[in-house]
Amino acid sequence: MTRASLAAALVSGLLAAAIAPAVTLAADAGPIPRLANGRPDFSGIWETLSNADEDLEPHSARDDAAPSAGVVVGNVIPYLPKALEQKARNFSARATDDPRLKCWTLGTPRDIYYPEPFQIFERPQDLTLVFEFGNTVRDIHTDGTLHPVDTDNEFWLGDSRGHWEGDTLVVDVRDFNDETWLDRAGDFHTEALHVIERWTLLDANTLDYRATLSDPNVFSRPWTLEVLLYRRREKNFHLIENYCFTLDYDQYYPYPAR
Amino acid sequence: MTTRSRALLTSILLGLGLAAALAPVAGRAQTAPATPSGAASPPASSEAANPPAAAVRGPRREKTVRVILSGPWTGKRLADGQPDIEGDWSNTIANQDNFTDPQGGIPGDPQARNRRLGPRSTRAPSRVSDPPDGQLPYRPWARALQQEFLAYFFNPIKPQYIEPFARCAPGGIPKSFYWHGFEIRQYPGYVLFLFNSGHRIVQLDDTPHLPKNIKLWMGDSRGHWEGNTLIVDVDNLNSKARFGRTGDFASENVHVVERYIFSPNGKRFNYVATFTDPTVYTRPWTATVPMRRYTVADQPNGWDYEVLPANDPGGPPIADHYERMCVENNGGFGQVAVSRAEH
Repeated sequence: MTRASLAAALVSGLLAAAIAPAVTLAADAGPIPRLANGRPDFSGIWETLSNADEDLEPHSARDDAAPSAGVVVGNVIPYLPKALEQKARNFSARATDDPRLKCWTLGTPRDIYYPEPFQIFERPQDLTLVFEFGNTVRDIHTDGTLHPVDTDNEFWLGDSRGHWEGDTLVVDVRDFNDETWLDRAGDFHTEALHVIERWTLLDANTLDYRATLSDPNVFSRPWTLEVLLYRRREKNFHLIENYCFTLDYDQYYPYPAR
Repeated sequence: MTTRSRALLTSILLGLGLAAALAPVAGRAQTAPATPSGAASPPASSEAANPPAAAVRGPRREKTVRVILSGPWTGKRLADGQPDIEGDWSNTIANQDNFTDPQGGIPGDPQARNRRLGPRSTRAPSRVSDPPDGQLPYRPWARALQQEFLAYFFNPIKPQYIEPFARCAPGGIPKSFYWHGFEIRQYPGYVLFLFNSGHRIVQLDDTPHLPKNIKLWMGDSRGHWEGNTLIVDVDNLNSKARFGRTGDFASENVHVVERYIFSPNGKRFNYVATFTDPTVYTRPWTATVPMRRYTVADQPNGWDYEVLPANDPGGPPIADHYERMCVENNGGFGQVAVSRAEH
């Protein structure tokens, strides 16, 4: 929760306390949807309004990015010196080297704040995230199972095991490959990436998303990013598959245009 | 092999069943990794790499299609009233080598020369259940084009002769239903299909389809339940995914009505889909693909049931699905893949 939204929640909470002492703070922000088992129900289509994908860190306007105060808590990603050099090389080559340009799977957490919608389907035992970009599917297991015993898996999205802390879904993600970037500015990681996500509904239509990233090969300490996700509420809005990696050969099928 | 596929091959399991069932080009079997659980790949002998159609074994090699009638649903229901058909499924007949003679192999397969197929009646019937002759009712120009695709399948001298699967394209309809097993998950208002290559979100409502000019690999689906039958109307198909290695196809004007008819015990269903496309066919035709359910009681395998036991100490057996990514196709099966993924 941002400081502003925390303040707003507190104020409205106090207000609620004054007029209806039994009402909880969360309920005052508007009831959040819940599954039959009482857990918050994140089902729906979500998208960020931030331009985090352009550059996670604060930056002025430039050719390929609008200005932004960034989404990194403390503003600066704590790169190790060698890694900072790599980041600089990535930044210089971002117009050609960003894996997004090939429509490769964006990875975790980039999929969450990429500017295309994604849909969450929720059951007690898992959450299934379908991202419009690439029509990628990610499973978050909430059935109490643990990460795979084998630790040499290299997944694009990592292996996600979640549990509930009150109304917050906490997801531990590990077992990554090193193929993905964190944004268009060349922020990166290695296979040692470890992500801890915290998902909290602020109200029925707003999700607070925080991810704490650590990677001893790249960062000097864990660091956190935070974005808000908004429910897409347009009439009849739904995902449209975007298998963009097929675009370069689409022309040949089902048969060449005649 | 690309960097992408290298990373995935070490991670994603199950090259083994693939290698066995996909009639890989020479050398591909060697790239099949051990699974994350450490199980070794089966030997890449020619027998394992390309079993003759006559060597029918396992549930995937049934020769008949069981009749399942539409009717009331008497089985378990989900809280929202939908028949509970969640779980893992796979077809019981064959892969996509041959659409109308599913166990007949790929016509012209150089690796099949020493093998003799028995009479047609010894193999599973055509997936075309109507017309009764089991053949697609192509217009002459379309039949000629299908034959051209097939003639060049093993010698793809033009980009359009490469089966799109070889480039990690989504499987489309109906091919997704006989390309590996798949998973169904259900939610209020939705049925979600998770295939090996591609996914479908079926909305259970009557909202309009997308505007006609939007064309999609997996189409735009609207469904509803009638008793034991899920009926799905599919539009907006780009029809770029062929029906299999025999090159059978529709055009982007195709309209599909699917009926998923579930057996009373919930262990089987038949996929019965009617394709209407006056551009390509002289009449509507119907495909039938029989399926069976897989559960934790079944042995995981790289074809029908791509799961691994979850790390669940002391808990009940749970099957994990690892992330679904195209990987094996980068290796160039079927038969020459040139992908921009090399960048």
